[in-house]
This record gives sequence, C-alpha cells and structure tokens, in this order.
Amino acid sequence: MTPVVEARGIAKLYGSLVAVDDLTVAVEAGEVLGILGPNGAGKTTAVRMLTTILAPSRGSFSVAGIPHTRPEEIRSRIGVLPESAGYPGGQTGEQYLTYHARLYGYPRGRAGEIARSLLDELGLLERGRSPISAYSRGMRQRLGIARALVNEPVAVFLDEPTLGLDPAGQRQVLRHVRTIARERGAAVLLSTHLLNEVEENCSNVLILNRGRVVAEGTVSDVVSRAAAPRRLRLQVAPEETDRATLVLAALPAVQQVELSESQTGWLAVELAAPGDANGGGPAPNDVLRALLDAGLALRSFELDGTRLSDAFLAMTGAV
Amino acid sequence: MSLAHAPLERGETPLVRVERPNIWAVVFERELRDLWTGGRALVMCFAFSLLLSVIAYLVATNTDLNFLEQRESVSLTLQVAIAVGALLALLVAGDAISGERERGTLETMLLTPAPRRQIAAGKLLAALSLWLAAFVVTVPYVWRLGHGVGIVAEALAVGLVVGTLLAIFLASLGIVISVFSGSNRFSLSLSLFVLLALFAPSQLPSSAEQGWAGNLLIRFNPVTAGEHFVGRIVVNGHSWSEDASWLVSPVLAAVIFAVLAPVVAGRYMSLRGGVSE
Repeated sequence: MTPVVEARGIAKLYGSLVAVDDLTVAVEAGEVLGILGPNGAGKTTAVRMLTTILAPSRGSFSVAGIPHTRPEEIRSRIGVLPESAGYPGGQTGEQYLTYHARLYGYPRGRAGEIARSLLDELGLLERGRSPISAYSRGMRQRLGIARALVNEPVAVFLDEPTLGLDPAGQRQVLRHVRTIARERGAAVLLSTHLLNEVEENCSNVLILNRGRVVAEGTVSDVVSRAAAPRRLRLQVAPEETDRATLVLAALPAVQQVELSESQTGWLAVELAAPGDANGGGPAPNDVLRALLDAGLALRSFELDGTRLSDAFLAMTGAV
Repeated sequence: MSLAHAPLERGETPLVRVERPNIWAVVFERELRDLWTGGRALVMCFAFSLLLSVIAYLVATNTDLNFLEQRESVSLTLQVAIAVGALLALLVAGDAISGERERGTLETMLLTPAPRRQIAAGKLLAALSLWLAAFVVTVPYVWRLGHGVGIVAEALAVGLVVGTLLAIFLASLGIVISVFSGSNRFSLSLSLFVLLALFAPSQLPSSAEQGWAGNLLIRFNPVTAGEHFVGRIVVNGHSWSEDASWLVSPVLAAVIFAVLAPVVAGRYMSLRGGVSE
C-alpha cells in the first residue's frame, strides 16, 4: 500500500539550532502512528512541517502523493488539531465548524450539514448552539477534532490531543482517534508525551529525542529493541526474604537488592547494565536459577523494562 | 476548492472539486458578524458618537469657540469624524492577524487551503465597516451644524470620499503591521504611533504651510492632505477640480496600501510574527 504521508529526511533548522533533523517516516491509510518524545524533542515542529505550517529546511515530504511544494493542495487533504489551539469564545460550535467548512469551499448549506453531522459524531450536537466559551476543555478538544475532519481528510495530525484532560476526557478523545483511523480510513499521526496513549492506541511508534529519530517501528519492536530488562520484582515467603537477599546479592549480575517495606515478602532487584564492571549484564534467568537452586520458592515474579515507557526512558536518556 | 464529503472506502482519497469560491466573502461575513454581534464595534461606535456629540455641542454653543463661522464648524466636526473613524478602522485592522495569533486561532486558519490574500482582504473589508458606521453616525451632526448654508451635501460627499480613502489607507497599513507583529499589544501600539505621527503635521502653525517644506510635508502626508482638502472644499467653497491635487496623496496611499496589504499577507502571514515587543 502506498503511504499517505511520506517524509524523506526532512529537517528544520533555526540558525545553528536543529529543531528536527533527518526525519523519515511513512504512514499508511488506517494506521495510527504515535510520535513520542520528551518536551522539546521536536514533535510539534515535525507536525508543523508535515502540515505545511513550517517549511522544511531540507528534505521533502508528500501527503496523498502531493509534494510539499504544493502546500495549499496538501492543506485541502489533511486535518489538524494543533497543540493549544484557540477557539473563538463568542461563536457557537456549529458556527465554528460551518465557518471552517466554508473555508474549505463548501457552500453554506452543505457546510451547515457537515457541521451538524460532525457535532453528532463527536457527541456535541446538544451543545452545538452554545457559545464555545461555555465548553469544557474536553468539549473544546472534541470540537477541534471535529474541525480537523470537516474536509474528510486522508491524514489527520493530532498534537497532544489529550493535554489537560481528565481521564474520562482522555478516553473519549482517544476513542475518536481510533475511530478516525478504523472507520474513516485516515492515516493518523498522534503526537504525545503520554506513553500509555501510544501503547494502547497506535499501531506504530516513532520516538524523537533532541530532534532526531531514535526509534521507530511497531510498539513491540521498539520495546524489544530498546529495553532489555534492568529491574525485576519477586515475592518469596516472608520468612525467607533475608536468605533470598543474601543469595541475590552474591550474584555478579545483580547490582542492588531492596526489601519492600509496604509489601510483605517482595524484593526489588536491580540488574547490572550490559558491560558493567560487576559482570554479566542483565540476566533474569540467572536470578531465577540461583533462587531455585537455593531451594527458595517463588510466589511471584515481574520484569520491568518490557513496556514502552522503559524503552522510551532508555532511548531518550530521561531516566 | 470543495471536497466531496461522501463516505469513503478505507484509504480512498476524497475527490477534490475545484469551485473557486470567494473565500474573502466568507471571511468578511464572519468577521463582520464577530465585530458587530460580539459588541466590540458597537462599543466603539457608541464612544465615537459621544465624542462627536461633545465636539458638535461645543462648536455650536461654546462662547470661546462659537466665533467659528458655520462652515468652519462643519469642517472641524467632519475632520474629527474622519480622523476618529479612520482610527477605529486602523485599530480593528491592527488586531486582525496579531490578535488571532495571540488568541491561538491563527494556526487553524492557516491550516485551511484558504488563500492568505483572501483572508487578509476579508478582514480588511470588515475593518472598513467601522469607518462606514462612523460616517453614518456623523451625518446628522453635519446636517444640524451645516443646515441653512447649503453645504451639507457637499460636506458629506467630501467627507465620505476623503474618509474612505484614509480609512482604506490606514486599515491596510494596520493589516501590514499586524502581519509582522508578534503580539497584539505591539501591533496596536505601533498602529497608534503611526497614526499620531501622520496627524502631527496638522499641528504645524499655518505659516509653516506657506514654505515649500511645510507645503510638501502636508501634501505628501495622505492624512494632512486629505484634511486640508476637506477644509478647502467646505470652508473656502472651492470646487473639487480646483483642489484635486490635494487628493493625489490620499488616493495613491489608499491604492498602494490596499494592494500591498493582501500581497504582504499572502507572502508573510505566518504563525510567528517578526516582531514581538
């Protein structure tokens, strides 16, 4: 399948400051790509380049086969929810959407129909005639998503769509994100710094750090590539915690063992990093074997470092 | 441009149908509605009518001012109306782009395929509605002050022409300033400064107008040239053709800036203005 959004080595430079460097990405129809990165990683700059708000300093990209040198045509095919978008408080939701549909060239009557249909789809129809100033933050974000859909876009860019929302509001917005990809078949680029959002909603992930891509692929690929487990938690019988601590502390692959104060029988084990002077490197199997060899019965065993958050922290150095 | 909005198959690209709509008219309608139903323009017009009432009352009744001949009273009131009416248009235009930028609504507008020139043109026309409203408010004052000396029609005609030219010039200038301003405060401050600078030569003593430098300054400056033209027609009773040279600068300024504003907006309207504060 031909990618809907395809960028080849795009970069944005502000003098000597490199905001985004050598970004190459391809997103297909119906796919949700999560763009992750710490604050200042270049997520918003990347989105602004791909949505033609900023011109790339070098490289090229296309949307639906339209090259970035034809920005007006690209804008007619994409929908965007910018980070911290403002709304005219005096307009009603319906007026706002109708106006934007008319900016895309729809005649007045059709624009009104599109506005009402989208308000209904986003669960805002009842409040469609209320001024936006009376909307909650979650309602405004849903209105912003509705606005991003007025032109039936082939690609939708959402920059931090759940920022500042309560958990219920976040869930609602993310449900709509999945619907846009699944039912409308649009390519969705979701920029966020919330890892669980990406883990739960995105088919692919791209991690940016200091303007550069440090990982990309499916969520599981990225996790397996980046995050060899560094910590594990295990539970033994409460009367055996001291002996287990001694056994574990003697292992070269173990850097530190801590007894949990709040959970009886639980131990937190920090493994040595690969190439550490302590030897070995992470070896959860060695830990298990040593405990079993010592005749200690394991009640529970959990590995950290198998989630996207661990990969993210490892790759961005944000530990 | 218009996009078909029929349900799409997964991954299908929507059909694009080019219709060449008048986006400027869409923006103009929206801006007009926001300005007038939002109350901002009404408040400005109310303040304008209060100011004009005070001026008209003073020139008609005050013993220090009532030495003014009736034609001079009409001219003074008209000149104040033109100056303040154009100022209102300038203030609205100065807020047009930088205000949207500051309120965070510019990005969503820039993300549409609407040509930026047409966005600026729609906003410019909406700003000019303030001048037209100010002129309508001025009509009864001019009628009352000029009643009986046969100058009402001519005074209103010259006021409409000169005021419209100056409003177009100043509102277009306001759009240009707004395009480059990073903050609304900067845009409005600079707009006001420019307006005051343009009005400053009108405070020169009349003897200064006799010299070539003073004469050139007043003729070159569209604001002072326009106001001078109003005075010559209304007070001195000259014909339009006799003093047409005084209209050259206002006409040129209006035409040049009305063309320049959309061109500058099309080229430079962006998320970040060039100058913040």
